[in-house]
Amino acid sequence: MLHEITFKVNDETVTLAVKSHHTLLKALREQLGLTGAKIGCENGECGACTVLMDGEPVNACLVLAVEAEGHSIETIENLNKSGELHPLQKAFVKNNAIQCGFCTPGMLMMAKGYLAKNPNPTEDEVREALVGNLCRCTGYIRIIESVLEAAKEVA
Amino acid sequence: MQPFDYYKPKDFDEAFHLLNTPGKVVYPYAGGTDFIPMSRDGVWKCDAVVDIKGLPGMRDIQETPEGLFVGAAVRMNDIASSELVASHWDVLAQGAASVGSQQIRNRATLGGNMCTASPCADTPPALCVLNASVIIRNAQSERRVPIADFFKWVRKTAVQLGDIVIGVVIPRPAKGAYGSYIKLSRRKGSDLSLVSVAAFTYPNGKAANWKLALGAVAPIPVRSPEAEAILEDGTDEEHIERAAKAAADTSKPISDVRASEKYRKLMVANMTKRAVRMTLERRGKGG
Repeated sequence: MLHEITFKVNDETVTLAVKSHHTLLKALREQLGLTGAKIGCENGECGACTVLMDGEPVNACLVLAVEAEGHSIETIENLNKSGELHPLQKAFVKNNAIQCGFCTPGMLMMAKGYLAKNPNPTEDEVREALVGNLCRCTGYIRIIESVLEAAKEVA
Repeated sequence: MQPFDYYKPKDFDEAFHLLNTPGKVVYPYAGGTDFIPMSRDGVWKCDAVVDIKGLPGMRDIQETPEGLFVGAAVRMNDIASSELVASHWDVLAQGAASVGSQQIRNRATLGGNMCTASPCADTPPALCVLNASVIIRNAQSERRVPIADFFKWVRKTAVQLGDIVIGVVIPRPAKGAYGSYIKLSRRKGSDLSLVSVAAFTYPNGKAANWKLALGAVAPIPVRSPEAEAILEDGTDEEHIERAAKAAADTSKPISDVRASEKYRKLMVANMTKRAVRMTLERRGKGG
């Protein structure tokens, strides 16, 4: 079954024909070419596909594309749209909070959504906020430090 | 993923019409956090889903003359952050806050957590100690099922095809009620419970009533009337030890890849002690 949906992606209104059983992740990657959100576990466990839906972090692999109708989606591609890196991105680069980089877009989107709600988190709060984002290169310490550093910048 | 159709009805009439499409298996759909992986893995098969999130009242958290109404499509993070829920039903907020990750809690719903009926679900033990009732509607009528009769077995509930779970009604507890929900998992966050315990106490004259429910250690969440009776007799360390043993005896855990039966039973006792002590501490502090 095909649905014509209209929604916002990175502040631009788009209209797409999506299949009922396709996920938002599939639509973003394959129909809109936004491959920043990664296909990891497709089970809601790894967080590599994290995007913001109306400002809230969600796993794009666990949202049906058709459910995006009328909502606003933000992906990693929006973070440096102005041409300049987002403070979170700058902090990740500065602190080498990246090894293979696969988890990074999800980490950044989760952190962005979380900081919007809690601009001044403690280290424990950042750890708790990122429990749904797995890094298999085991680089958590630098990721957490980067989020805390960027929080000061964003706030 | 096996193809299925998706419908988003505007009202209940349309929803029930779709759910009762002759010759088709049609499921209600809310958060999708269980449905999408289960459907992709071919465990759940259906011809269509009916998105119930937009139906009237499904996302309400409301105080009613009876107590608290929480709509089936209310998300875990909405429950966890609700001041109304925290005011008298905090143990439910604690359960909701311990589900999955932020990403999951922004989608997963109370109705889904109940209807999936996973033994290790986090809100059912809280709903058990709070004596919730589940409101279930079909095309003809509406019924209320006490939480004690809602869960039938692993992934089996009182819900039939063609039903929509509307939400839960939770009585307002007596003034001075306190509760704790805690879970044990291999990893601190975003993991399934190996053992979970909800403890709840409220004054009854000069005495105190206790409710204790265990999660992940039987096919369905179980209360431990034996442990509750011991705690109602007293809450000194000796009583707490005995109650913990009684709770462990009530539990019927399995051995699986995550933990052995023996370990889970030991942990039921430990977690029971911890949940009771936490509840007593909350009561002592008045919040």
